[in-house]
Order: sequence, then structure tokens, then C-alpha cells
Amino acid sequence: MFDLSINALFMQLLTGLQMGSIYVLIALGLTLIFGTLGVVNFAHGALYLVAIYLAVSINDAMGFGYALVLVPTILFALGLAMERGLIQYFYNRPHTDQILVTFGLAIVIQEVLKAVFGANNIPFAIPQWGNGIIMMHEWFPFLEGFVVYPKWRMILVVVSIVTVAAVFALLHLTSFGLVIRAGMRDPEMLKFLGVNINRRFMIVFGLGSLIAGIAGVFGGPVTQVSPEVGMHLLVPSFLVVVIGGMGSLGGAVLAGLLIGMAQSFTAHDINLSTIIVYLITVVVLLVRPRGLLGAKGVFE
Amino acid sequence: MNTQQSFFERNRAVILFAAIALTMPLWFPIIGGYSGLDTKIMIFCIFVVGFDLLLGYTGYLSFGHAAFFGIAAYTTGLMFKGFSDNIIPAIIVAVIVSTSVAVVIGLLTLKRTGIYFSILTLAFGEMFHSMAMAMLQQWTGGENGLTGMPTPMLFGTKMQGDAVFYFSAFMAIVMFYVAKRIERSPVGLMMRAIKCNQQRLEYTGINARKYKLLTFVISAAYAALAGAMMVVYEPFVGHEFLGWHLSGEVVLMSVIGGVGTLVGPMLGAAFMLYFENVLSADIGEHWLLYLGIIFMAVVIFMPGGFMEAMSRLKARFKQQ
Repeated sequence: MFDLSINALFMQLLTGLQMGSIYVLIALGLTLIFGTLGVVNFAHGALYLVAIYLAVSINDAMGFGYALVLVPTILFALGLAMERGLIQYFYNRPHTDQILVTFGLAIVIQEVLKAVFGANNIPFAIPQWGNGIIMMHEWFPFLEGFVVYPKWRMILVVVSIVTVAAVFALLHLTSFGLVIRAGMRDPEMLKFLGVNINRRFMIVFGLGSLIAGIAGVFGGPVTQVSPEVGMHLLVPSFLVVVIGGMGSLGGAVLAGLLIGMAQSFTAHDINLSTIIVYLITVVVLLVRPRGLLGAKGVFE
Repeated sequence: MNTQQSFFERNRAVILFAAIALTMPLWFPIIGGYSGLDTKIMIFCIFVVGFDLLLGYTGYLSFGHAAFFGIAAYTTGLMFKGFSDNIIPAIIVAVIVSTSVAVVIGLLTLKRTGIYFSILTLAFGEMFHSMAMAMLQQWTGGENGLTGMPTPMLFGTKMQGDAVFYFSAFMAIVMFYVAKRIERSPVGLMMRAIKCNQQRLEYTGINARKYKLLTFVISAAYAALAGAMMVVYEPFVGHEFLGWHLSGEVVLMSVIGGVGTLVGPMLGAAFMLYFENVLSADIGEHWLLYLGIIFMAVVIFMPGGFMEAMSRLKARFKQQ
């Protein structure tokens, strides 16, 4: 039954925050790529998949520190390669073609990983310093008695907060971000002004992929490492992007937390928790077809 | 010019399809197909022809059509278990239930176009999948699927082996003919107009939403019929009948074959099922990887699929 004690509420809040963190990290990349390039990347879940498998392999072979540095770097390069090698030829083709080709790419990536690593779940060893639990009642005095939470999940929350902050800072405090934001509004005008917007958008694609890399390094131990995970996370992440408003970063964060919380607070009722995401999507789109923070006129 | 074509001239494609379909048990085993797979191909031909009316003609890419297939399949299964083993009422009820759901989903999803539509249909499909796995478990059997149905009957004939193949082939031919009629009808014209320029169509005072919904529901009815037939073919309903895998598979079939041609998607369905069930034995367990590569190659280099390849070859032969 629904438990209203302060401890239970606190735990559900934390779980919601942690679930939302992964959605936010994946949705952030999706919405960044969509907002700038107008491309719906069905292969984004597959990028996350590449990230978790790379993270597991590098973590086992060389240690977590290397994984932390190498995986996002490789994913950034992979994103650039993907944009140059494939996506750029699809800017002038219908949206459905973009969906189809990235969907095909997702299948190919998933099957390659399945062929290399097998279809089963691979254990992801959390580094020593991330293992164990945090005594929540020592930090939050209002909790009654003994309340603990896995340390790694808290780290995941912190990482996603830092990542979101970094992306916001990049977009709002640097001149690179200024150009990107301008480009999201009116790419044509920017081209008239002599700005090489394509080059910057290409970097944005790499950044979106890099964020999937960060998500993979820290999310892998939580979401499991198996070929199904990519598509499994992609659907709610898409919904997060749609609920938040296509191309809106703030919206993605808000919607990610909303979905995470909703799933966490309905977890006591399996019937409700499995469909709550879809219910929220329907309600939001009926009330606000543009999404929570969707800008007017952007990809309507 | 003589515009009064004879019935045979107008329906060359349907007659050709009928000839190929009805003789299938004779030649299909020669190329390695087993009996049963031909039935499945016929059933998927129904599915993709309906899907093509939506994707190929109005340009709306649905990633949730498995929902209608699956809902109809579950309904058929429950009808067999609870009402009668006669397939006619089961199929009729299944199609009605599934298309009713399609009306509601269509009203909600067709508010948006393009990518939104694809994502929303994907979400609805997954919603029904989740519901079958959890909320409706006592009816659907959840993870294990719906089993324990009696042998489907058609007025005293057991629907097994050849009987079910010819029934499926008959239905596929009829549904292909219906689709061809829709293609030629004023509604078909509207559908193509929606794909070309929806806004301009609306400026002429035509209610495009009405036609979009109509097309969506028609294509859902095709999917529903295919779903019901699937249970007649094999009295079992698995939860994967509702999953995005199946929706994705239908997209693959249609695109590989060539959307907007009706014939293409059927070719694609036959090719993919043949690839999945026959060629996969030679290729090994990574057949889906190769299929994904073929699919990508088609999207990149030949967006018109097999049909485009064929017309290109034809053009080249004519040149020489």
C-alpha cells in the first residue's frame, strides 16, 4: 500500500531522482541533437549501449578511471563520425527517412554488440570507492531511525546534475553556446552572417553522443549491461523529450524528473507504474501539445 | 483514349498476386520454404498492405502498429476460449475491438505529424505491451502468453495445414484487391494529397484530419485482421505480438520492399520472413545484423526499395 511515512516518502523521492537522472542524461543528448540538427536519433539508445559495453570492457581491463576518460572521448569521436559519415546526408531528406536510417543503425549496432559480447547481462563491477551505502539519516536529521541508500546511485544523481549544469553553462555562458542557441532559432540567418553553423552543429552531435557516454559509464551498473537496454531506455527517453518539449533542455530535465518521480511513486502498484509514463505523455500532449517548455514554432 | 479498361486490365496486379499466392504450396518447398511459412507470409502480406496505405500514401510512419495486431490476436484467442471455436465471429469481433482502439489512438496521435507521430505511436504500442504484461495478465497470460485454445474451425472444417493456408491466401488476395480499390478511389487521392502537401489540401477546404483518421483506422483494421489470422494459423498469442519489435519488423518489410506501391511491402514481407526463417539457417545467428545492413543500404541508396530497383533495371533494359 501507499506508505506516507517520512522515510518512505524520502526514499521514493531519491529513487525517483535516480531514475530521472538516467532519463535526463539520455534525453539531454537526444534533445540537443534534435534542437540543433532537427534529427530524431533512433540510434541514441544504441550509442548508450556502445557506451556501457565500452565502459564495462575498459573498466575490467584498465580500471574505472580510464573508462571515465576514454568512454566519453570515444563516444564524442563516434558521434562526429556518425554525423559526418551518415547523418549529414539526411538533413535534406524527410524526417521519416532520418528515423528509418537511425533505426536501421540502431539494429546494426545492437546486433554487432550482441555478436561480440553475447546476449546475456554482463556484470559491471563498481569501483571500490563507489561501493557501499550512504547513511542517509546522518545527513538528513528529519528521517526517523535508520535509512540507507546505495552510494553509486547517489553518485549517478550528482553526475547528472553536474552534466546538466555543464551543458547549461556551455550553452548560456560561452560564445559557442550563443551561436548554437542562435542556430536553433534561425540557422539560415546565421549562415547569412557568415557563421559556419554546420561545423558547430557537428560538434553538438558529438556532444550529445558524449553525454550518452557519461550516462553509460555511470548508468551501466544501474541499468544492467545487455543488448536490450538501449531500446528499453530509448522509449521513455523519447517521451521525456516530447513531454519536455522538443529541443528544450530545461524541458528535458523537468520531464525526466517528472517521469522518474512518477515511476518511483507508483512503484507500489505494478499496474499503474508500467503505464504511468504513457498516461503522463497523453495528458501533457492533450493539454500542451508543444510539451511543457516547448518553444513556439519549433518543429511543431 | 479508351478509359474503359476491362476488369482484367485494371486488376493485373491482383490477378498476378492471386496466381503466385495460390500456387505457392507447389513451388515454395522447392526454394526451401516449409509449409506454414507460406501461411505466415500471406498473413504478413495483409499486415503490410494496410501499413503501406498509411506510410506509403499519407506518409505517416507508425511505430506502434503491433498494438492493433496484438489486440486483435488476444481478442481472437479469448473468443476461441470463451465463445466458440468458429473463426468467423472471432475474427469479426477482434477486428471491431482493435479498430475501435485505433480510432481513439488515431484521434490522439494524429494531432501531431512527422516525428511526434512516430514517437507517440511507439509509446502507445509499448503501453499496450506493458498492460498485457502486468495489468491484464489474468486475461493475456502475461509473459507466458495466451494458450490452451481449441482448434479453430470454419463451419466444420478444421483450420489446419492447407485449409488455413488457402484461407489466408484468399484473405490476402481480397485485402490486396480492396487496397487497390482504395488506392484508385477519391480517398486514395486524398491520402496522396496529404503526403504531398497537407496544408495546401486544407486550404482547398478539405478536412484532412478526417482522411488521416480514416486511413489510420483502415490500416489498423488490416493489422487487426492479420493479428486475428495469426491466431487462426497458430492457436497461441505471445506478448511479443504487441511489442515494438513487431512494429519495427513491419517498418523494415515495407521499406525494403518499397513503400507506396502496395506490391513492394508484400515483396518485403516475403523476403524478410524467408530471410528470417530459411536463409538464417545458412547465415547463422547474426541474420538480423545482415538484415539491418541491407535495410540501411536500402534507406541510403535506394529509398524506393525493391520496387525502385526493379524499375531501374527495367529502364536499363529498355535503353539497350
